[in-house]
Order: sequence, then structure tokens, then C-alpha cells
Amino acid sequence: MKSRELAAGLVLGAMLLILLFAAPAFFAPDNLRDLLLNSAGVMLVALGMTLVIVAGHIDISVGSQFAAASVATGLLAKAGLPMPLVGLLVLALGALLGAANGLLVTKLKIPSIVVTLATMIILRDLLRWTTEGAWVQNLPVGFQWAGLGQTAGSVLILVKTLVAILLVAWCLRNLSAGRQLFATGSNPDAAVLAGIRTDAVVTGVFVIMGILSAAAAMLNAIRFSEVPGNPGAGLELKAIAAVVVGGASITGGRGTVGGTVLGVLLLSVIGSALTYLGINPYWEKAVQGVILLAAAASEAVRQSRGLKGSYASR
Amino acid sequence: MQAAKILAALLALEIAVFSFTGANFLSSGNAAEILRLSVELGLLAVAMTLVIITGGIDLSVGSLMSLCAVVMGALWKDAGWPLEASILAGLLTGVVGGYMNGFLITRFRQLPLIVTLGTFSLFRGMAEGLTGAVKNYTGFPPNFLSLGQGYLFGAIPMQALVFVPVVLLFWVLLHRTGIGRSLRAIGYAEPAARYAGIPVEARLRLAYTLSGLAAGIAAMIYVAHIGQAKSDAGTGFELMAITAAVLGGTSIFGGKGTVHGTLLGLAAIVILQNGLRLSGQPTELAGILTGLMLIVSIGLEQRPGMSRVVLAVGAVALALLIGFNGHAVNTGPGKRLQVGMMPKAKGDPYFISCRKGAEEAAKELNIDLIWDGPTDLDPAKQNEVVEAWITRGVDVIAVSVESSASISTVLRKARAKGIKILTWDADAEPDARDYLIDQATAQGIGYAVTDQTAAILNGKGEFAVVTGSLSAANQNEWIKHMRVRLAEKYPEMKLVTIRPSDSDRDRAFAETQTILKVYPNVKAIAGISAPAVPGAAEAVKQSGRKDVKVTGLSLPSMCKTYIHDGVIRSIVLWNTHDLGYLTIQAADALMKGKLVDGFKAGSLGPRAVRGDHVMLGEPYVFDLSNVDKFEF
Repeated sequence: MKSRELAAGLVLGAMLLILLFAAPAFFAPDNLRDLLLNSAGVMLVALGMTLVIVAGHIDISVGSQFAAASVATGLLAKAGLPMPLVGLLVLALGALLGAANGLLVTKLKIPSIVVTLATMIILRDLLRWTTEGAWVQNLPVGFQWAGLGQTAGSVLILVKTLVAILLVAWCLRNLSAGRQLFATGSNPDAAVLAGIRTDAVVTGVFVIMGILSAAAAMLNAIRFSEVPGNPGAGLELKAIAAVVVGGASITGGRGTVGGTVLGVLLLSVIGSALTYLGINPYWEKAVQGVILLAAAASEAVRQSRGLKGSYASR
Repeated sequence: MQAAKILAALLALEIAVFSFTGANFLSSGNAAEILRLSVELGLLAVAMTLVIITGGIDLSVGSLMSLCAVVMGALWKDAGWPLEASILAGLLTGVVGGYMNGFLITRFRQLPLIVTLGTFSLFRGMAEGLTGAVKNYTGFPPNFLSLGQGYLFGAIPMQALVFVPVVLLFWVLLHRTGIGRSLRAIGYAEPAARYAGIPVEARLRLAYTLSGLAAGIAAMIYVAHIGQAKSDAGTGFELMAITAAVLGGTSIFGGKGTVHGTLLGLAAIVILQNGLRLSGQPTELAGILTGLMLIVSIGLEQRPGMSRVVLAVGAVALALLIGFNGHAVNTGPGKRLQVGMMPKAKGDPYFISCRKGAEEAAKELNIDLIWDGPTDLDPAKQNEVVEAWITRGVDVIAVSVESSASISTVLRKARAKGIKILTWDADAEPDARDYLIDQATAQGIGYAVTDQTAAILNGKGEFAVVTGSLSAANQNEWIKHMRVRLAEKYPEMKLVTIRPSDSDRDRAFAETQTILKVYPNVKAIAGISAPAVPGAAEAVKQSGRKDVKVTGLSLPSMCKTYIHDGVIRSIVLWNTHDLGYLTIQAADALMKGKLVDGFKAGSLGPRAVRGDHVMLGEPYVFDLSNVDKFEF
């Protein structure tokens, strides 16, 4: 395990230990299930964000992609399409939105933070303009839990999330595409010389990001019987924070699925743990900020200060 | 400087289009307002330019603004410091916060994105923690407020006194000193800068400290501008500042960028918003067009070529024109009565249903209704819209007030210009408006919600409240009255916790799940923000707890299914459709001099006017017996 992942793991472990003694009820199976279900959306988005960050890029439009996909899920289901078809169409929409980001980044050579800042604003305001905040209501009976009922529906969501995590982790480790991704993020020029089509890699990563945002939106939407008009605000920062806490390097080339999973769990446990420990919710954001800074600093303390690396942010 | 040329062309295009479509767009008064609106963002954007030139980024400036504002407010109001000393302390907070960013970045060799993402959360969290997110410092003396609201020589906004010198200093620092050159050198190639003997760490700390100082100055002006210091100040400003800098040609990779370029970028954004507003266009277009401008101008810089320039400018021009053709614009001061009506937040389903009623009345009375407001709760944005309406010259302004302290000054200014002012849903200071359309008092709401909760609990037991955001003024007011009602009438009931939902259905859902487990004795949940009630109800439903019921303040359409399921026992609300309808009817009667007790409000019939309050009637209680009769 690399140092930052270790740090995230240790902080998570320490927090769980405190909870074990101060509020053992936290470990009730119901609570753990709810915690996992509630963080499934962030988990999928953070999973995609890990790939984007390993590729040396960033995507801050994921909250807007999530919103667009949520509303699309509602509208398509309301139009009477069968749920599996709704799923396919929404994933296709996500892929399309991701492809737009990826092509702008690779073809026009605009930095990804600028591209996705622009698409974040464009998508969000386009959605505000068209829906005017109205919820998608009166959905068919088969919408919630995809018509499977609460228990089976919950299992479906958790299993799909787990499959996505394992699939991405396996691909990163075992496919040449995974190695190409790390090569592209570590040193794009060297990667090109090694015969890697870095533009294709980067575009592909943004497409996968879009698909995962759409999947997150869909799996989140079917837990309810209505779809809000403009959900997912702030999701991008949650996902980036989780990935960074999980040890990925924002300059690219480094990051693991395991670390991200730890990062997501850590940040979602904090929210619910503070209530269990009876801590005033007003301090929640401050505590999250401290944990993020601590995770960043803890790794730095272990590293010797050399001339390697730069302060540049990409 | 390819980017600057493209941007200047786009800006010229904006001005040309808006001088045709926007009412009074090309007036000196409007120019002054545009300048006023640019100051806070401009300070942040100019300082951000320096940071981005070093190859860094500062995401924490908006949050730091809120911390500076509440430190200043707390020292002045709570600790009794003199105002000057409090302001200095506020500025110092900015300096310390900025230095902290610089220190963490250089000492731990961490990336600016990560550090400032952490302090983005930390600073806002501290501001919320210190004030309990509730405290709102107001009542600042007039000579301080004039800094944000007054005029120099009757025409130039007072902020210019601070803004112009600060921007000049930044310009000189970046473009005419060795420090500026060294920042640029660090951005181009940090190791090379180090070999050249530049003290990289010290220079970086300086850049972040200056960014913090700019946030401090912006916070003081913001407080003077809107007349309140609260933990929600500056929300989202960081992204706008970055957008302005990048649009102005600052390279996100570092090394390239100018202060004047950033000012150009800022002007493009602010003029776009102002022009769309004066043209009666949906302001969402501003975001869409800003995003397009970003991609077009940066994309062209990366891939130059004259044909592409023409193509892109044409594309944006086309987008603008389509926007204008799609919506009929009534610019001239025609015979029809023009009423500007503003919700607290446009996307809120509650206000959407008010709008339907307002539009119905406007159609009946042949009134030109302009519906505009902030997309999310934002007192500064409300002031901005009122200013635009004054410039535009509407006949009546009707506002649902987010912050009475901040909007009253600008409403008084509108009254002085002969515009009639109504407030609806929530009131401003009484001398800042002609009439209040009174749907229910904060006391009435607080008491009604408490009574409905008591009906679930039979007057005995524990309950929890899920609120909107912790800093929402009206919700905190309702909670205050709920506590009074509890003390007076229900001594055996106990409010065990108040959790925030950020008016997000999914967050309300998760918070309620936790409440149910942590407080097993809670048998009732009161949601006091429209999306919080269905969120809480879904959580109760999924938990399978039949012994817990939900109530609160929400829309019947959102809660219908849960009321049928029996999870929600009842919800409290007035008829929102009628509220919007009554507001427009009252505006019409006011202009015709017929707004007296018992005036006929269209299809609503006669309505009472008590003093300067136009009464809608009592709040409704919606339950199984009547919920299907309502469409909103």
C-alpha cells in the first residue's frame, strides 16, 4: 500500500474504532447498508474520476452530467420505455457528454479544467433553462427500484456498484489499456514515443467518466419515486476530494481503485458519524477540510523535500 | 495576444447586440451599476491571475470571504470593537488565510488544487461553526454602508475608490516589477526559476497571501454592498473568478496572463449577465454563453487560424441571435404595465408554482410580467436584479425578500425613482416598500408546523427537524417560533436535533435515515424546506418504521403519494398559486389607485388590506381529505 492510501486507511480505521466504543449502534447492519447505498453514487463518480486523474486530467462537469442523466432517466421512464432500455439510453447520453469533453481536450488542446469548467456551466444552465427546476413526477410504478422492490433493488444497486469497482480495478491491473493509461498520465510525451495513442486514451477516459456519472445518476434516481429538477450540485468536489484522500496524484500517473474506495468511505462515514457522536453539524465542513488537508500533509511528511515535482496544477 | 483580440471582438459584439435589445443598456447609470457589480469578483479575479500565473490555483477565496465577513461582523457586533478595528481584523483574517494556503503548499510541497480544496471546505466550515450558520450581522453604520452603496460625485460607485487603486497596484506588481517577472518565471518553469536564484517558496507564499488579502477586501466591500455579514457570503465566487481570469487569456498552465486581460474577461461575463437581464432574456443564457466563450476563445488560442476566428465569432453571434429570436422582447416603454417579480430562487418548486399564478393574473390583466431572480438563494444577486429593473424602468417591482437588511437600500432607491414596490412571501423593511402581500407570518408558520407535529405525537415525545440550509434566514426564524410554541403549549415535547438538507431531497433522505437510528425515540420528523419533506418521507417509508410520521412545510404535488401511503400525516402551506396571482392583482390595483380593503383580486374575490398588508388568508393544512384537489 502506498503512503497516502495507508493514511486514508488509518484515519478510517481510527474513526471506526472511536465509533465502535462511542456509538456501537453505528455498526448495525441497517446503518451500514444505508451508508453504502447512499455513497454508491459518489463511489461510481469517484471511480471514473480516479481514471481521469491518473490520466493527468480533471473533470469538474460530473455534477452537471449527473443532473442531466438523472432528469433524462426520469423523462425516459415517464415516456413509458422499459427500464433496461432507459438504462441503455442514459448510459449512451453519459458517453456522449463524456466524449464531448474528451474531444475538446484532445482536439482543441484546451486544458481539461477549462473545458470541464465550461461544460459544467453550460450543462447546468441548459438544464435550469429547460426544466426551470420542475421535478419529474408521476413516474410509472416500475420506476422505483426498477420494479424489483426495496430489498432486491438495494441488492441490485450494491452489486452493480461492486461489479463496476472490480471491473475497473481488474482492467487497470491486467489490460494493456490500463498500463497505457498510467503511461499517459506519468509522461504524455514519453507515452507518445512509446507508440501509445494518448489522445485516444484520454478521450476514452472521459467517455468512461461520462458513463459512470450517468450510471451513478440512474442508480441514485431509482431509489426514489420522483426525480428532482437539478440534483448533484457539488458532486464534483466530493468526488475529487475522495480520490485525492485516496492517494491519487493530481499531476497524473498515480492512483488506485482501492485508495479511492477508502477515500469515498472515509468521507461518507464522517457525515453520518458526526451525528452518531452528537457533534454539532455546523462544524461538519470544517472537519472535512481538516481531514483532506491532513491526508495531503501526512504523505508529504514522509517524502523528502527535493527538487522533484512542481507546484503546477493541471 | 490572440486571446485578447478574440475576447475584445466578443465584447464589442455583446455591447452592439445589447444596445439594440436592452432597455437603457447604453446609459451612464447602467455603466455605473456594471462597475459596482464587478468589484468583489474583480478583486478576486485579479489576485487569482497572479496565482494562476505561478501555475497554481486558489479554490478557497469564496469561502475565505465568508470567514473574513463573519470575523469582522462578530468582532464589531459581539465583541464591541470599533468598526475600523473590526475591518482591519477582517482584512487580517484574509491575509492569514491566504498565507496559510501558501505555507501548506510550499512547506508540504502539496499541489495548490488539493490544499485550497481543503481550505475551501475548512474556511466555510469555520465561518458556519463560529456563527452556528445562523448569525447574521446587520445594522452597520451608514458611512460604512456607503462604501458599498453610495456614489462619488453622484455618479461613480464608491467601491471604485478601493477597486481602482488595488487593481492598479496589482497591475504594477505583475507587469512592472521583478516580483511580477519572478511569478511568471515560476509558472513557466519552476526549476529554472530556482536556478536563476528566485526564492520560489517566498514568492508563492506572497501570491497566495495577496489572494487572501484580496478576498478580505472583497469581503468588506461585499458586506458594505449588501449590508450583512453572514457565513454564506461569496458562495461560488471562486469559479467565477477563475472563469474571468482564464477567459482573459491567463494560461492555466502558468506563465501567461495579464491583469488587463482578466478585467476584459470580467467585463465580458458581467456585461453578458446585465445585458441579458435588461433585454428580458433568461439569465441561464449567460452561463451557457460564458461557457461557449471560454471554449471558443481558449480553443482559438490553442489552434489559431483566421477562418476559425470568423467561424467561431459567427457561431456565438448566431447563438445570441437565436436566443433573442426565440423569445419575444418587449423593450420599449409600451402602454402595458411592466411588473418585475422576483422569487428567492428561480428553480425552487415552491416559487415555480407561485409563478404560474402570477402568469395567469398577468394574462388576465394584460400586464407585462418579468420573472427573474437568483438561481439559488443569494441576497447579492437579488440586489443585482432590482438594480437592473431600475435601469430598465419597470412600473412595479415585487420581491420575495431573502435578506431584508441587504435589499432595503436598493428598494428605497427604486421608490425614490417613482417605482412602486411590493414585497411578497417575505418582507423587507417597512419603509422600503409600499405593500406586503402577506401569506402567513413566520409565527403562523412556526406555530402551525409545531401544532401538526404535536398532533402526530399527541403532544408528548421526541421529534426532529430537517431544515433547508443551516444559514437560511426564514427557516431559522420559523425554528425560533417553533421553540416558543413548544415552551408555551407543548412542554412534554422535545426537539432533539436539527439537521441540514441544503434543500436537496437526497441529502434530506440520508439525514433522516441517520436521525431514525441515532434517535430511536423520535416519532415525528418535521421538514421545513419543500424538498426535505418528501426526502424524509421516503427515508421513513424505506426504513419500514410504521411508528414514525412526517409533517412540515412543502408542496402538495411533491408529497401526494406519501400522504396516500400514510407516511406523511399532513403538510402546512398556503395556496402558492394564489399567492402569485394575488401579487400581480395587487400590483395592478396599486397602479390604478384601487388597492383598498376589500379590493377585488380577480377570480380570488375580495381580499382584506390591513394597513400596508394585503392578506392572502390562513395557511392551509393538506391531508388525505383534500390533497388531490390541488395541482401545485
